[in-house]
Amino acid sequence: MRVEPRIELEEEPAPRLEPPLPAVVAADTFAPPRTGTAALALLGAVVLALGLAGLSVGNFVADQFARATWLGWATLGVAGAGFGLIGAGLLREVRALLALRHVDGLRDAFASGNAGRMMRAAVSWSHTVPGGATVAPALQAVNDPDAALALLRAGPCRTLREDADRLGRSAAVQAVAGIAAIPSPALDVLFVGWRGVRLVREVAALYGVRPGVLGTLGLLRRAATAATLVGAASLAGNTAAQALLSSPLLAHALGDAAAAGVAARRLVVLARATALACDPVPPG
Amino acid sequence: MTGLARAGKTAFLTSLAANLLALGAGQPVLPGFARRLGGRRVQVALAPSGASGLPRFDHPRHLAALTRDPPAWPERTSAASMLALDLVIGRESLGFALPSQRLRLELLDYPGEWLLDLPLLRTDFADWSAAVLRRLQAPAVAPHAAGFMAFNSALPAGATADESLAATGHRLYRATLHRLRDAGLSLLQPGRFLMPAPGPEPAWTPFFPNLGTGGLESLLARRYAAYVQAVQRDLQEPMFGNLDRIVVLVDLLSALHAGPDAFGDAAAAVSAAAGALRWRRSWIEAAWALGQLRLPPRVVSRVAFAATKSDHVAERQRGNLAALLRNVAEGGIGDAPDFGFAAAVPTSHLAIAAVRCTEDFVWTLDGRPVSAVRGRRIGDERLLRSYPGEVPDRPPDDAFWAHPFLQLPDFEPLRPPQGGRGGVPELGLDALLCFLLDDVL
Repeated sequence: MRVEPRIELEEEPAPRLEPPLPAVVAADTFAPPRTGTAALALLGAVVLALGLAGLSVGNFVADQFARATWLGWATLGVAGAGFGLIGAGLLREVRALLALRHVDGLRDAFASGNAGRMMRAAVSWSHTVPGGATVAPALQAVNDPDAALALLRAGPCRTLREDADRLGRSAAVQAVAGIAAIPSPALDVLFVGWRGVRLVREVAALYGVRPGVLGTLGLLRRAATAATLVGAASLAGNTAAQALLSSPLLAHALGDAAAAGVAARRLVVLARATALACDPVPPG
Repeated sequence: MTGLARAGKTAFLTSLAANLLALGAGQPVLPGFARRLGGRRVQVALAPSGASGLPRFDHPRHLAALTRDPPAWPERTSAASMLALDLVIGRESLGFALPSQRLRLELLDYPGEWLLDLPLLRTDFADWSAAVLRRLQAPAVAPHAAGFMAFNSALPAGATADESLAATGHRLYRATLHRLRDAGLSLLQPGRFLMPAPGPEPAWTPFFPNLGTGGLESLLARRYAAYVQAVQRDLQEPMFGNLDRIVVLVDLLSALHAGPDAFGDAAAAVSAAAGALRWRRSWIEAAWALGQLRLPPRVVSRVAFAATKSDHVAERQRGNLAALLRNVAEGGIGDAPDFGFAAAVPTSHLAIAAVRCTEDFVWTLDGRPVSAVRGRRIGDERLLRSYPGEVPDRPPDDAFWAHPFLQLPDFEPLRPPQGGRGGVPELGLDALLCFLLDDVL
């Protein structure tokens, strides 16, 4: 059946359209090899520390068994629990890094132009994000990568961006309040830095990426790339921060605290940049 | 850069300049072109106009029109102007010790109506008159030309050189051209009858196509020759004599809306204009120039055909639009001759939007999801959803014309980031630049 062409006016007024944000270029596109000298040395130190510690503990457990069997089992239990926790931590790090790699892989798939690959990536991503389940049946039905991407952009992507913006605004409010309450400028910096890292983790968790320490570092690097790419983000940040600071209550509390305004603006931008780094769907 | 009237030449130049300047400032624009540069640093600046006789393209004014709220499209071009950009591109790898590569891009803006004056250079008055009068008798055109044709056919073959006859015929013919333009037709000659050159009209202006044999025909032929000389002096030699690569902008989507006659007419007009440009090197001309201690005239070495306003259809239809353009350009349609240079010069066919106005979205129509676009119209704060119809990938047949292809809405441009300093939102401009400059990068 042929669909009749048509043109329709929407009911509600809308702001002037802005260009879509540019896709995040994978941070290592022009970068030197991922494993640098420092990373190799650090990895060696970790292997030495953990390996030698493990061997020492092994010897110690054997000695304890020589002293008394119950003492050996007790030592083995303690050592197992300790190394188990360390292993669990490492496993979590690896999973977080793999999740970031997965986002990069999805981004590549969406950019490939291969219809089958794009559709598989769309369906796969829709299963991992909140709200994705609602569009999953439609994705199966349309079986058209352009339409699938448009559905994702209109549904989960928009919701996630709005949620990330909300998190950014909330962090900005906290930063402004914190700066107003903290007496020392040096502590201000620490506080805003900590809030920024926490914000990155919150936004990542929103997108189903639960980063550990290394994952957070990787994410910060990607977010920094995104933030330099996103000229529009700073505009959006300005607007959001101005809206925030125009609250009479905050203005009364802060007076002309320019630093608070800058920090708030940066947190709003950081939330957007992190959302961009975690979102594999290319802008329409 | 060539293109018929309303193809978007001024918007194209404005966007190209803004995006190249933004690229030079390190903004993330023209991603494909930046990739082609392979990480080499590029500096871009508007070139000084020097002692050029051509007015400078008023880039800041046109960009300001796009960025202000509410925005406006650049005004209709009424005179020629030149945009010149200097590109300084750093060397890569082993060539780092060499001086940077310097390129100057010179782009011409001029009224699209004038483009169709170029074919007149190779046509005499009798042939031109015969061709025009034949076209005016076509069924789709005849109703618009009834007044002029009645007057012209009533003239006796041996009419004397009467100034009032010439003036009346000219007035009627000019009115006919305006009506035909309003009806969506493109192959309208002479171009200055529709868009006069600045300044007072020369005394030789009043002429019209006529196949008589008397004094009137002789007078009209002399005036036609004077017109052709003026075209050669003012347009062809200073502007088109020194080209080495060309972008032909074609508004195929509007032609699809206007119907089969207007579509065929637009294809014929672009074909005629492109055919008037210098595509192959002539050894006689080269030898003549060398004999006079001058460099041989340049020939066109690359040509890119670009279907403009491609953001008025959804992404999945832009491939069809480029394919349609390729078929029209390479095969010719209807009476339009093919361009005949496909094998001679590297050619590319692209669907672009120099200034993007819309975003894609999925519209459920009659229970089926359809890729469509939406944007704000100039002067309206509400979004307009548009699904004008399917774009065919080959010259449309009768089955296509049986259904309507809706008129393209007059969308307002997307807001350029950072007041234009971050470039102008576009589609496909980077691919076009990569193709045009590939051999010199």
